[in-house]
Amino acid sequence: MLAIILGLLLAAGVVVLVALPFLREPVAADDRLDAPTEAEARRLELIEERDRALAALKELEFDHRAGTIDDEDYRTLVTPLRQAAARALRSLDAETGNRRSMSELPTEPGPPPDEGTPPTPAPVPEPYPPPDEATIPSPDE
Amino acid sequence: MADLGRAALVVTLGLSLYALVVGGFAARDNRRRLADSARNALFCSFGSTIVASAVLATALVRRDFSFQYVAEHTNRSLPTQYALSAFWGGQEGSLLLWLLVLTGYATLSLISSRRLLRDLTAWVVPVFGGITTFFAFMLVAVSSPFNTQTAPFDGAGLTHSLRNPYMVAHPPMLYLGYVGLSVPFAFGVGAMLSGKTDERWIVATRRWTLAAWMFLGFGQLLGAHWAYTEVGWGGYYAWDPVENAALMPWLAATAFLHSVMIQERKGMLKVWNMVLVALAFELSVLGTFFTRSNVVNSIHSFAQSSIGGWFLAFVVISSLFSVGLILKRLPFLKAKTKLESPISREATFLYNNLLLVALCLAILWGVLFPIVTQLVKGQQQTIGRPYYDFFLRAFGLPLLLLMGIGPLIAWRKASARALLRTLAWPIATALACGGVLVAVGASSSLPGLLAYTFCAFVLATIVVELVRGTRVTGSLLTLISRNRRRYGGYIVHAAIVLLAIGVAGSSAYQTTADRPLKLGQSMTIDGYTLTNRGVYTSNSPQASKTGAILQVSGRYNGTIRTEFADYKIPPESAKNVSIKTDWKRAQDLYVIPDELHPKTQLIYIEVLVKPLVNFVWIAGIVFVLGSLVAMWPDAREQRRLVTRLVLARA
Repeated sequence: MLAIILGLLLAAGVVVLVALPFLREPVAADDRLDAPTEAEARRLELIEERDRALAALKELEFDHRAGTIDDEDYRTLVTPLRQAAARALRSLDAETGNRRSMSELPTEPGPPPDEGTPPTPAPVPEPYPPPDEATIPSPDE
Repeated sequence: MADLGRAALVVTLGLSLYALVVGGFAARDNRRRLADSARNALFCSFGSTIVASAVLATALVRRDFSFQYVAEHTNRSLPTQYALSAFWGGQEGSLLLWLLVLTGYATLSLISSRRLLRDLTAWVVPVFGGITTFFAFMLVAVSSPFNTQTAPFDGAGLTHSLRNPYMVAHPPMLYLGYVGLSVPFAFGVGAMLSGKTDERWIVATRRWTLAAWMFLGFGQLLGAHWAYTEVGWGGYYAWDPVENAALMPWLAATAFLHSVMIQERKGMLKVWNMVLVALAFELSVLGTFFTRSNVVNSIHSFAQSSIGGWFLAFVVISSLFSVGLILKRLPFLKAKTKLESPISREATFLYNNLLLVALCLAILWGVLFPIVTQLVKGQQQTIGRPYYDFFLRAFGLPLLLLMGIGPLIAWRKASARALLRTLAWPIATALACGGVLVAVGASSSLPGLLAYTFCAFVLATIVVELVRGTRVTGSLLTLISRNRRRYGGYIVHAAIVLLAIGVAGSSAYQTTADRPLKLGQSMTIDGYTLTNRGVYTSNSPQASKTGAILQVSGRYNGTIRTEFADYKIPPESAKNVSIKTDWKRAQDLYVIPDELHPKTQLIYIEVLVKPLVNFVWIAGIVFVLGSLVAMWPDAREQRRLVTRLVLARA
């Protein structure tokens, strides 16, 4: 008897849960999957590219300060990374029309430091923690 | 209650089919409510599988012998924890465990990724549905744990060698590993089906992959410990096909965990990562095929079973599907950048991958060789230990080196000059260590000497990295907590080093001796003197035993016993070896009975002294610790990922 009751409860629960999306919205105004539009997907890709470039710069900076990468290798590697980050930021700005992010990073790399003195790295903008909610434009802006 | 169990499995099958078919339509036709319904069906399949599992577990605990499965694997006198462990002791129960863990992983991974991968999860649901359909079908139609009979008075009982705490934990750990590899597989296939092959699916499944890899690795070590203490042949890994069946997906998953870092940072190796994730999954299913089908001889193999052909068909079909999909989606898998220098961190990861996959394939060939010879010549020819040992050294030693070089080399490009400067201290440490080892006589085994030297190199690089990083952040804890993946990885590397030290020590530097000893006669091996103090016999309702008492002096002082046991229910013979651990010298004294003659008091014993073997077990604990650090949730990373989506939609 217990087995039958449990079986019936299982069957009822399953039917309800599987049908739940249709029970909640018998008629849906928009039944499409909540997928990003092409423009949103493109922006997401650019944001990821920006974050990747900035993370790479941050890691390079850390490894240089830790002594894992010496000054010569640092000078060789930092310029292309900064250029990649700048390109990503420019592309993102062009996509979003938002000039705010361009003030965070110089577009051209600084002059190489003198030989014999450790380079003073330009401040790398901190991508983390993420910008706070106040800086994210609301849909109404 | 058996009817309830059967009904629950039929419900699981129906729900899985729904998730597969309806979920596929919903994803293809962009139908949100239908996709949600299919996803809910998958969640419900977890619920119905829990019901089926609860029925079997209850029957085992109650010793309900009307269940054929319970009667075959338990008896009245079996302690409860072993009665429960009989859940995975037989084929039907282990399939049910597979399905339970699979539906559980599917549910939890889909719930955890619903915010970040809304567009992708609709495609992941039918993939999970396909896999669960197969296993549910096997349980419903081919190998059911709910077959009933007229209940006998008592059951057949559980094999005595399985009545061991390690063997209670080993199968569930392995299954959490095997089955867990279905998560990155399902998400990877989902990414290809949806055309969204960016790195989001990797980021979302990274912790699941790490968890599966951790369970699979730790599960293998539990099994090795069981073999060492219970099976009594003096070792812990015999390159048995079923042991290899767990090692191969672990090696493929190790390669995957490294190469996805390159994809995340550089957008490279997308095709390779899809191949690896499919390989890891297929090898995990193949592992179950080898364990249950008896196509290869193994001490793990059970009676000839009915499921081998089905598993092989599933592996073939899913492999062909994966390969076909990868080829079809090649345009979506193009690399964004390319390898710039053969001296770079990307390059070392690539070399590491090639070595891991080469080792995996070498082991696979060793496992398949008997099957191939059977088909071609009509006679099985097996491959022995020397084959595997050769490839372990050939690929394992360079892998050790790369473990040391990789962390200290720059991404993108490093100059040889800078690399040598960075590696100066680790190289010096390794050479000094090598010199000391040669001086103390370790050069008797060249592979052992090389392994130890390379281990010293890797440990030195880890220490250098930790010291340098701590100087920057001010505290070791801050260093590790700010980059858990990187430093958790270093802890795992340290575990592999400990494992390598334990394996090299206990194999390359092991001493053995086997001697007959009359009553009162002694033998000496490596600082231990063993004296035969007599042979005894005993008889109880559970077993008849014949054992030898040995007095040990020298590096250990005390009395040990080693014996043969003939168990009565179920009838089974076993060797109970004696293991004495000397923690100060980090070695084990291991005594195996060969022949014991009560009448003449003559004994033949094999004695092994195994240096550093306990490093193997310590490595397991460090491995789990490192994996947990690497996969520990990072709230900042989660916020970052969510904020990206918000910004993209702004």
